[in-house]
Amino acid sequence: MVLALAASISLDRPLPPADLVLIDRGDVHTLDPQRMSYQHELRRARVLYETLINLRASDCALEPGVAERWEISPDGRTYTFHLRENARWSNGDPVTSEDFRYSWRRAILPDSAADYSGLFLAIEGAQEFFDARTAMTAEFAATHANAPSAAEAEALWKRTVELFDATVALRAPDPRTLVVTLKAPLVYFLDLCAFPCFAPVHPATVESCVSIDPSTGRLIQRHDWTKPGRIVVNGAYVPTVWRYKRDMRLEQNPYYWNKDAVVARTIECRTVENPNTGVLSFQSGAADWLTDLGPDYRVDMLAERRAYLARHKAAIDAGLARGEMLDDIVATLPPPGAGERRDVRGFSAFGTDFFSFNCRPSLPGERLNPFHDARVRRAFALAIDKQALIDRVTRLNERVASTLVPHGSIPGYPVVHGLGYDPERAREELKAAGWEDRDGDGVVENADGVRFPTVDILYSSSNPRYQNLSLAMRDMWKRELRVAAETRGKDTKLYRNDLQKGNFMIARGGWYGDYGDPTTWLDLQQSTNGNNDRGYRNPEYDRRLAEASVQEDPERRLAMLAEVERWLFTEEVPLLPLCNYVTVYMYDASAIDGITEHPRLEQDLSILGRRSAQTPELVP
Amino acid sequence: MSGQPLSTGALVVRRLLQLPLIVLAVYTLTFVLAWSVPGSPLENPEGRRPSAEIVEAMKKQYKLDDPVAFYFDYLEKASGIGYLRGTTERVFDLGPSLKQPDWNVNEILGTGLPVSITLGLSAMVLALMIGLFAGLVGGLRPGSPADIATQLISIVGISLPSFVIGSALLMLFAVQLRIFPVGGWGGLSFIMLPALTLSLPFAAYISRLVRFGMIEEMGADYIRTARAKGLSRSRVALRHALKNAFLPVLSYLGPATAVALTGSFVVEKVFAVPGVGQHFVDGVLGKDITLVMGIVLVYSTLMVVFNLAVDVMYRFVDPRIA
Repeated sequence: MVLALAASISLDRPLPPADLVLIDRGDVHTLDPQRMSYQHELRRARVLYETLINLRASDCALEPGVAERWEISPDGRTYTFHLRENARWSNGDPVTSEDFRYSWRRAILPDSAADYSGLFLAIEGAQEFFDARTAMTAEFAATHANAPSAAEAEALWKRTVELFDATVALRAPDPRTLVVTLKAPLVYFLDLCAFPCFAPVHPATVESCVSIDPSTGRLIQRHDWTKPGRIVVNGAYVPTVWRYKRDMRLEQNPYYWNKDAVVARTIECRTVENPNTGVLSFQSGAADWLTDLGPDYRVDMLAERRAYLARHKAAIDAGLARGEMLDDIVATLPPPGAGERRDVRGFSAFGTDFFSFNCRPSLPGERLNPFHDARVRRAFALAIDKQALIDRVTRLNERVASTLVPHGSIPGYPVVHGLGYDPERAREELKAAGWEDRDGDGVVENADGVRFPTVDILYSSSNPRYQNLSLAMRDMWKRELRVAAETRGKDTKLYRNDLQKGNFMIARGGWYGDYGDPTTWLDLQQSTNGNNDRGYRNPEYDRRLAEASVQEDPERRLAMLAEVERWLFTEEVPLLPLCNYVTVYMYDASAIDGITEHPRLEQDLSILGRRSAQTPELVP
Repeated sequence: MSGQPLSTGALVVRRLLQLPLIVLAVYTLTFVLAWSVPGSPLENPEGRRPSAEIVEAMKKQYKLDDPVAFYFDYLEKASGIGYLRGTTERVFDLGPSLKQPDWNVNEILGTGLPVSITLGLSAMVLALMIGLFAGLVGGLRPGSPADIATQLISIVGISLPSFVIGSALLMLFAVQLRIFPVGGWGGLSFIMLPALTLSLPFAAYISRLVRFGMIEEMGADYIRTARAKGLSRSRVALRHALKNAFLPVLSYLGPATAVALTGSFVVEKVFAVPGVGQHFVDGVLGKDITLVMGIVLVYSTLMVVFNLAVDVMYRFVDPRIA
């Protein structure tokens, strides 16, 4: 037994140290770019797959990627991309426009179950193709459930491909030209083209893992192709090791056209799920960057950072005035003293924390829902002192939000303000909605003497943050509005269930933006949006969004969207924004270079590196 | 049970025949429990939802819309019947992970199981070494300062939860002294701390068993006889008394090793060890049904085989047990 142990231990040797080591809280779910949806996956995808257009991490500007240049037709609907000649897959194959057609078709196909297939429906004919394919497979499944036929399934797939070629306006006139026509002009389409789900996959590799189910006619995708040794990518790095929930090793792709711009030759991405162990691991010097500092540490560590920055305020202000980046200034400062630290940093994220109001006409069981009335929603929004919540409850120094789109995150989009804190006005709004304390018992009633129903505040108990916020907000509402209120913490799954069924009055919510346009936020309130947990249905809102979408002047369009957002958060208030999320990294600014502070936090692994040769060697 | 004791061969055959029934019962129970948990594996806990058509498509693909079909389909593929009938390529196909579509359950177990087994067995070896030593020290000189010290330590070992011990060891040996790495896997230095943490409760229990056994045996008549014949105290203790005092330890080792192999998920989490325990907990939380079912199937099979091995071993050590 001891021998067997010794053998098993000696076989599992650690890998040689990488140029850059980072620790994620979870492993990536998939390396299939069309099926990704989590932030750390998309970050990995950005260095494995190159899209037509690259997003520059420092300012989110669009740069040529696989496409070296592109033209947009005067009507704003047709995009012609010219692919660079030296774009190569990691096996040496050229990257062609057909590869993009294949990959985008894959994303649109309902069979692929791509979370982001909706983003592709802006392409002319894509929606029709999606619907037709859904209907075709449904019909096939109905007739072949008990009579599977490989030949007929094959024929169905052939018809599908022909249908795609005929209906979807995605053409590859030659291997280096891709022509896309959109249903309507979409000013942020180039930004979408930089989104990892629009990345190409290597058709021959992927196709070797696709089969057709003879009883449903659907494509079955096995995922063996994403494994190191088999996967073919076109980005800066190739994954050479991937051990499930343990680590992934990225090595420079020798065929990448822009490999001279890639900093680290090897990157090790470790998975450490336990937040404590992650921090200790970082502190022991085993990693350069901890991408998500656990909530238990955030408050104290950020306070120590503030103490450090406060001591060097003069030097930092002078550096910032010269236009230097904060990390570069911090790197030149003396090391932190007792009770200070500079190896942690909080960033205001491209995400907004909010509580949803249930806007449906009634609650499940035909119960009275006072929040159907916008005046009640406004009253509840005005009664919350968000700064107090941040100072006393969340304590991460978050930026107060009164709207969804984080300020300054989208170039050219004006700063929009929603409702602030005004308890006096809150009570007036509630009174205007018919709710006031008529009998002096300390609780508001309507004209019929019916008491305001006990406000049901739903939150997910997975994170103490939401319990604390819910309790504090409950007390504010009780105090300012004289309503009865109760909090209801539920396990994440049950919480999601209640959310979807509309079984709540007020519920914890939150959203992260996907691409650099306000619609990534504003679409959330559309009547038909699948993530509209609030049940907010307002044809006026849908109409105004649609109106803005056909506006061809980009500046005018952003102004229209800003006006819609202002109206939404001063009049309609389907949700109560609290603050922008804070993402907390652990990295030593004096040791690591290349972390961007742009509000979208699109970190580019290929430009991260250790600052100088004097950096002490990492403990293996 | 018949009056006649079974021969070892008959015992093995009988237990192996029971194996499929036990595993089937465990499978069915787990299936019912896993299926009745609310939520869907196709949903992300945070963030956006896929469109309704896509959820439907996924349900169809994984047969999540029909529990009965799923039950039989999965059983057929996992048990090897599917392979015999040619419906699947792998002999025991435990299906794709619903949460991590790039991995199937066979691959996950293939990478996680060796890690968990290595950790569990290392912990048992450590537990034996520590437990025997501490038990002997105390048992030979009851009431001495060394005895009181080892007893105190063993009480701490039994009563402190492993995440506390683990974090304390991490702070001391990995962060302060920097002797061992903080977490991860690969090489002896990574195994020491998690194996020690996992071993402590077992070591504490073993030390108490040995101590008690030694005190009793050292007072027994045959020991006094041996001493009277002029054998040295240490020779008597190690050669004769320990042999008998060790029997209860042996019967404890069987279930203890099973617990160490299967119950290491807390230690795996604390030390970021990529074993099966972590995957199992994540699978349950994320309602990754195929992953949970696959792990349960493999572990229940292992448990039955393991208990059988222990029973067979008893027969060799102490023929009376037959």
